[in-house]
Formats: sequence, C-alpha cells, structure tokens
Amino acid sequence: MSEALADEPLPKGVLEVTGPEGVPLRFDAATVADRAVAYLLDLFVVGLTGIVLYVFGVFSTVFTGLAEPLALVIAAAWLVWKFYFIGFEVWWQGATPGKRMMGLKVISADGSGLTLEGIVARNLTRDLEVFLPLQVLLAPEQVLGDAPWWLALPTGAWMLAMNALPFVTRERTRAGDLIGGTRVVRLPKSALVRDEAVRHSQPPGAPTADVWTFTAAQLAIYGEHELETLADLLRDAETGKARPEDLRMVAQTIAQKIGFQGAAPHEDPRRFLRSFYEQQRAHLERQLLYGKRKASKLDSP
Amino acid sequence: MIDVEPVGSRAKRKELRSVTFRREREGQWQELDALVERALKKGLGTLSEPELRRLPVLYRAALSSLSVARRTAMDRALVDYLEGLAARAFLAVYGSRKGTRGALRRVLFEEFPRRVRALAPEMALSVFVTALGAVVAAALMKLDVGWYDAFVDPALAGGRDPNADSELLRGALYGEGTEMNGGMLSVFASSLFVHNAGIGMLCFALGFAAGLPTLLLLFTNGLMLGAFLSLYAERGMLFELVGWLLPHGIPEIGAIVICGAAGLHMGRAMIAPGRLTVPQSITAAGRRASFVVLGSVVLFAVAGLVEGLFRQLVTDDLVRYAMAAFNGVWFFAWLLLGGRRRRERGR
Repeated sequence: MSEALADEPLPKGVLEVTGPEGVPLRFDAATVADRAVAYLLDLFVVGLTGIVLYVFGVFSTVFTGLAEPLALVIAAAWLVWKFYFIGFEVWWQGATPGKRMMGLKVISADGSGLTLEGIVARNLTRDLEVFLPLQVLLAPEQVLGDAPWWLALPTGAWMLAMNALPFVTRERTRAGDLIGGTRVVRLPKSALVRDEAVRHSQPPGAPTADVWTFTAAQLAIYGEHELETLADLLRDAETGKARPEDLRMVAQTIAQKIGFQGAAPHEDPRRFLRSFYEQQRAHLERQLLYGKRKASKLDSP
Repeated sequence: MIDVEPVGSRAKRKELRSVTFRREREGQWQELDALVERALKKGLGTLSEPELRRLPVLYRAALSSLSVARRTAMDRALVDYLEGLAARAFLAVYGSRKGTRGALRRVLFEEFPRRVRALAPEMALSVFVTALGAVVAAALMKLDVGWYDAFVDPALAGGRDPNADSELLRGALYGEGTEMNGGMLSVFASSLFVHNAGIGMLCFALGFAAGLPTLLLLFTNGLMLGAFLSLYAERGMLFELVGWLLPHGIPEIGAIVICGAAGLHMGRAMIAPGRLTVPQSITAAGRRASFVVLGSVVLFAVAGLVEGLFRQLVTDDLVRYAMAAFNGVWFFAWLLLGGRRRRERGR
C-alpha cells in the first residue's frame, strides 16, 4: 500500500484493494443481506437441477430396468451441489448466477487475479458454514449427539461464531473468504456528470467571459468542501432541482462572506455563482500545484 | 503566501487545468466504460481480439488519470466517476485468471501430489492419529471385547460384532447375506463415493476449528478400523479381511488421511501463524490445501467404484490382493512421483 488514500481508517463495509499497478481502489463490500439473497437464488438453481436430475434418473431406471442411470444421477447431483459455485466462479470471473443477479463479484483480497485455488478454498467450507450452525440452532442433538456439556458448549459456540463472522468483520468476510483470501464486493457504479466549469453552450477551449473578477484574497476564503457543495448546487440548478431563491440566497451569503460589492448576486445569482465557481476552482487547483491543500473554509492556509 | 496578481484575469485567459485534463481523456474513459460494461455483463469472451488487447491499456490509462485526479482535481464528481470506472475495470481485468488448457490435468497430476508431499508433517500426524486409534481399539478389545460396540456404530456393523459366529463374519467378506443384486451395485458405488467424499471435505473444513475436530474425526476413524481388524484377527480371518479391505481401502483411507492432513495444516496455520498475521496465515494455508482436497475427491471416486463394484463382484482372495497391489502402486506413484519432472525443468 504505497499510496494510501486517506489517513483515517476505512469506514465499515468499505475495502481497499491494491492491484499490481499499485493504485489502491475502493470497493463496497457486499452486505450480508445481498449475499444471503444471492445464495438463496443459487440454492434454488442447484435444487432445481438436482430435482430434474433425480426425476430423469428415476424414470430412466424404471423404464430401462438398469440401475446405472440412477447411480450416475446420484454422483452427478452431488457434483453439481459441490461444484456449482466453484464452476461458475471460475467460468464467470467470480460470479454465480445469484451473484450476477444481485450485482456482486468475488475478488481476491490481495489485488492479484482471482485464482482457482482461492475459489476452491472459499467454497469448501460453504456447507459447513451454513448448515451446521443452522442445525446447532434448530436441532442440536443431531450435531452434538450425546456429547458432554463441556464438549457440546464450545463446539456449538464455535460454529455460531463462525457463522457470525460476516456480520462482525469490517469487510464482511465469511470463513470461506478468509480461507480463500477472497472478498465479495458490490459492482461499483460509474456515471460521468457534466463539468460545471465548462461553458456547455460554447465550444470547449473557448475563453470564458467573466463579468466579475474576484481577487486572490476573496478566493482564499473557501475550500474544497464548499467548492464541491457549490458544484452540486449548480448541477441541481441545471436540472431544475434547485429553486432560483435558493441560488440567490447562496449567492448573497457568499458575496457577504467574501466582501463582494455589487448587485450581481441579487440580479443574476446563477451567472454569479458559476463565475465564482470557475475562479475558485482555478485558484484551488493552482494552490494545489504549490502543494497547498485547503479542505474547507475552516482550514487555515 | 497570498498571490498579489488578480487571479481572475488569468483564469479568463486560460482554460482550467482540470477541464483540459478531462477533455483530453474523456474519449478514452468512455471507450473503457463501454468495454468494461460488456465484459462484466456478457463476459470477457464477447470482446474481440483487438478489444481484449485494448482493455488493459485503457485500464492503466484510467488508473493514471485517477491517480492524477485524486491529487489535483477539484471536481469531486470527476474523481468519483474515475474511482468507479477504475474499480469496474479492475474487476473486468483481474476478475479471474483465464483457465488455460489442461488446467485440470495440471492440478491433478502436478499440483495435487506436490502439495500433498509438502504437507509431510501433517500427513505424518494424520497417519499417526489414525494408527493410534487403531492400536487403542485393538488393545482395549484384547482386555474386553465389549469395547467393540463403543467403536463401531451398530448400524454400520450390520451384525458383524463379537457375538456373531465366524461363518457370518466370513460371509460378510464375500458378499453373502446382503440383499444386493447385481444391478444395484452401481448405485451402491456412487452412494459410497458421495458419502465418503463428503466426509473428506468435512475433515478439511473442520480444520477451521484449529484442527481439533479433524484430529477427533481421524482418531474415531482409526478406532473403527482397529476394532474391525481386531475382531477378525481374533477369529483367525485377518488375511481375508485385509484382502477385502485393501483394494478400496488404499484410495479411501488414503484420501481421508490426506484430507485430514489438509485440515490439520489449516489448524496449524491458526495456532502457529509464524511471522504472518492469523488471517494471512489461514489464507495461505487454505489456498495450499484446496487442491489437496480437490484431488482427494478423485481418490474417493475411485475408491467408491472399487468398493461398490469390484469388492462385491470379486471374491477370490488372490485377485483381491492383486488389485490391492495394483492400487497401491498407482496410488503411491501418483503421490510420490507426480509433478516432480516439471519442477526439475524449472530449476
């Protein structure tokens, strides 16, 4: 992690992965609910396949009088059950049908490519993780038998603890993920919104015609956080989500804070704000080249 | 330091750096976006050859854009977009390593034996615990044959217990007294495979509880084995029993011992992670052990066929011993010799 994104620790449910290129990328870990739904969808597919196989096997055996079709079906259904997840995660680059429907993907936690051994390892404990704790909860006598309490208690507690792993870990890691070195993430979304510093009516690169010029002292007051808020407001104004009164109020607040003289904030708040945004951004970007970053108006430099 | 020059005038003359930055690269980003969208929705296979070559190039360009934007861009929306784009492209590019041709052959005949050999200490412990179970069972049965019931589940024994007469015990070895007609043998074989392979996988997965349940499972397996051997030895039928047991026992008991070793390896990784953190250690051990379990599934399949078909159909002791020898040869040759050649070539 040569280039950590931030000094503060990552929030829960967010994981950072550094690929071979050395640029850390952030992913949202899939929630337990998402994964449970994906798993149920997959179970449904596996169950259906199993039923179809068994019906086929039993019918073939009854009609031909041979036992071999049934024997094959027993083995095949087991193989489907055990290798469905491994097969799809290899074939579909870390997604099963259920995961694909839920927009989830398995990745390697260390940022290298997802390997076959990682996929196999993460799926070997799957049944143990899901069904044994369920049994411990619903019918403990089946799992623990007549074991004495000093054996039954830690065993049951261990199984439940293993099941609780994805609920308590920061990256929602289940035991299989730990063993395989994998994580399940949500597919990130990406949509490019327009840049508010570009005059969209003009050809790109044309000089911007500002009516108002702000001094360096005036631009030194706000920081990146305020700039960002202003960009959001301008975007909202474009789509009609922000009312003209809001713009006017913001423009007047800014004018007052930076000591701007004139009627512009009152008469044409939108153009005033856009103009201020452009120059504020140019100022902050230039300061950044000097190595000075101003996160918000509360920042001192 | 405060700039004395009016900043606004300069901004008027020149386009913003970040605007130029975006204008120059936007086309590439959108091209990457479209490729990634298709790769994630329909699979990498739907991309054409030139597109596949283009993908990593565009991905690296997007990463460099992201690095620059994170440090210099004041447009958070742009940075967010690039974060999302780069992350999606990462998934498309590093989703999984493409399975090369012959991956299964490589795993079975090179990786599997090599990794089993690398587990030598765990294998030794696994064999030792199984043997210990067998010796303990045999010793206790010398004192009192009543111990038999404690070691062998009556449902599994099917009447083969110390109270049974020798004829019944002998008959059980040669397929007498069972209701099995020839046709159902294949079903029997595949049920055995499914049952045993499931136990093997459990043996590995239980390693996640520090390997203790794995030890317990191996020990009880040994107890059962010892009780059986001791019962038949007492009646002077050890030779017949071994002939009955070995043909399928070599792959089957071998596979259980191997899966047990894999589970113990994981337990060891949890208890003694060495220089790694515990999660790192578990991951490393789990990945190493995964192919071992995969190979064992094949062993269980072979054992199921031998146990379900051969053992029921062939009742001649000598043929059984010949089969046992044959199984022993390929089993040990596979584990001891497999995957050695490539390693030497690599040196």
